[in-house]
Amino acid sequence: MPSDVTADALSGIARRAGFAETVLERQGLRLDTGAPVTAGATTGAHVAAGFGDGSVRFFHPAAQPVTVAAHRGAVLCLAPDCQTDFVLTGGDDGRFLRISPEGAVEEIANFGTRWVDCVAAGPGWRACSSGRVAHVWQAGATASRAFEHPSTVGGLAFDAKGGRLAVAHYGGATVWQRRERRWKASKLVWKGSHGAVSFSPDGKYLVTAMQENALHGWRLRDKADMRMAGYPAKIKSFAWVGDAPFLATSGADQAVCWPFDGKDGPMRRAPITRAYAGEQLCTAVAGLVGMSGVIAGFSDGCVLAGPLPDDAEDLVVKGSSGSPVAAIAISPEGWLFVGEESGRVLWVRLGGEAV
Amino acid sequence: MDQIPQIPVTVLTGFLGAGKTTLLNRILTERHGKRYAVIVNEFGQEGIDNDLVVDADEEVFEMNNGCICCTVRGDLIRILGGLMKRADKFDAIIVETTGLADPAPVAQTFFVDQDVADRTRLDAIVTVADAVHLDGQLGEHHEAEEQIAFADVVLLNKTDLVDGDGLGRVQDRIRRINPYAKIIRTERCTASLDEVIGLNAFSLDRVLAVEPDFLTSDHDHEHDDDVKSLSLVSEAPLDLGRFQTWFGRLLQTRGQDILRSKGILDFKGETERYVFQGVHMLMDGAPMGPWPKGDRVSRLVFIGRNLDTMDLDDGFASCRAT
Repeated sequence: MPSDVTADALSGIARRAGFAETVLERQGLRLDTGAPVTAGATTGAHVAAGFGDGSVRFFHPAAQPVTVAAHRGAVLCLAPDCQTDFVLTGGDDGRFLRISPEGAVEEIANFGTRWVDCVAAGPGWRACSSGRVAHVWQAGATASRAFEHPSTVGGLAFDAKGGRLAVAHYGGATVWQRRERRWKASKLVWKGSHGAVSFSPDGKYLVTAMQENALHGWRLRDKADMRMAGYPAKIKSFAWVGDAPFLATSGADQAVCWPFDGKDGPMRRAPITRAYAGEQLCTAVAGLVGMSGVIAGFSDGCVLAGPLPDDAEDLVVKGSSGSPVAAIAISPEGWLFVGEESGRVLWVRLGGEAV
Repeated sequence: MDQIPQIPVTVLTGFLGAGKTTLLNRILTERHGKRYAVIVNEFGQEGIDNDLVVDADEEVFEMNNGCICCTVRGDLIRILGGLMKRADKFDAIIVETTGLADPAPVAQTFFVDQDVADRTRLDAIVTVADAVHLDGQLGEHHEAEEQIAFADVVLLNKTDLVDGDGLGRVQDRIRRINPYAKIIRTERCTASLDEVIGLNAFSLDRVLAVEPDFLTSDHDHEHDDDVKSLSLVSEAPLDLGRFQTWFGRLLQTRGQDILRSKGILDFKGETERYVFQGVHMLMDGAPMGPWPKGDRVSRLVFIGRNLDTMDLDDGFASCRAT
């Protein structure tokens, strides 16, 4: 058993207004890692999480967590690798790493004093960014290609087939499309600074989280702009959930979910809101395509499951701890990871209802 | 919620060769027991004596909020965000800008980016000026004027290389652009650290504490500097609504030319004094406690370009409560 597993790390914490500790979280594995959680992602049957002390932890339903000393500074970004159960990470030590769930670390690239800000993988492809350049590797190859952009890369994402790589930066995004051995760039323009980026699961839309309190989207067929604004805070987390699917987002007092079904997606349509926790801001969301609810974490540490059907009530998954939820990830088998800025972690099997 | 401590950020500006790196190394090597994170630009960064140095490209971008002069430093937002994720904490952050940088986007970043404002606070803008070359630089580069105009502290360096008259002239010139900055004369950046670090110059409290040094500012017109300062006083109480209308429109239409503004205001019907400070079109203000006895006077200060074309006297006079 790793030394940082404490049986009941939360028991001594004074509760303020909010939700009380739940039965569910008492049943889960709780750790107090002492380092801020910086990222979390599902990879195969595992969830992998990055921490502010450079460590990466793998969580699995049937095994104790595996802790890997990966980076020297903070883990800045983390994404599932194209090989199942592996993960890609970037750090402020300039290293781009690929880590196995057993804890084997492979350094794919090292940029020295330059941070690795973003990482992403798609079927057969891996990418990271450092400064203005996105570096792309084909799985199994050691040589990389470098795609340069006019400003620092804020986000990277492959589409579901691995044929396109989206790169967010100032003033919009660039979509690199692979055609017979060559990558061709196409620019999407929108003023402001663009960060985390994602293709819709059907590949028809691209969405970015902006430095302002807004998302921006493009319908890729005709580059039509979609403004998704009106948030009281920055959107730090989003996830594709449900059958439509919806794009569930943080940044408001509930999970704001934009519908991406139909011919025009969210254009001229209002989002639905789920998982209301009072005055707290939603800081992290998670969900899965096809799942009938969104999991939302809040600035006071509570986590709610908000079912997508109208008439269903929110379920409290985790009570308020006082520290903002930094990352949530859910595995297809219904295991939930919650990581706080405080470094506290919850790993628990959700009941059947929410999944 | 857990209380989030705000980490102070000191911004070092100054033209190439003025002595920024010397000052930076002095700050870092002095035995103070503090841990600093240093953010430097990519050029000429040999020999910075610190274990946490971050390379940055100065990336200024325009926000999509309809405010044309509202530019911010995207790299700072990203790097400060990244530093806040680290498990090992530090006491303060120092940002060194390139020689030709305009300090406004750095300052504005702390006004407009919520994450930056939540986790960090702008401590002060410290400008290192070369006593030999500043005179010429002020005439040739508007960035030099901006660096003086935005400074909370001007470290007038290399004073051993100019005579007394020359030093007086350059100091007067600094004063005419910015009568509020504290000027420290040094030979090799040997200022005491508590004069440059931990000043809290951007807190509203400090607006109350810093009085312009009018006495040493002379009025020769040998140089016609582009950037000037101007202060206005009113002993009559002001009308809140009128002031908001006038000042709001002023910042909106002339905010590009107004580099910095500060004020302590007496609004009719309010018992507390209202204190604000602004950078271009952005401002931050709050009621800051009762007036000291016998000193209930509104003061307004501008540093900027073309101030004489803004009808500031008449505009301010029209805000008086009737």
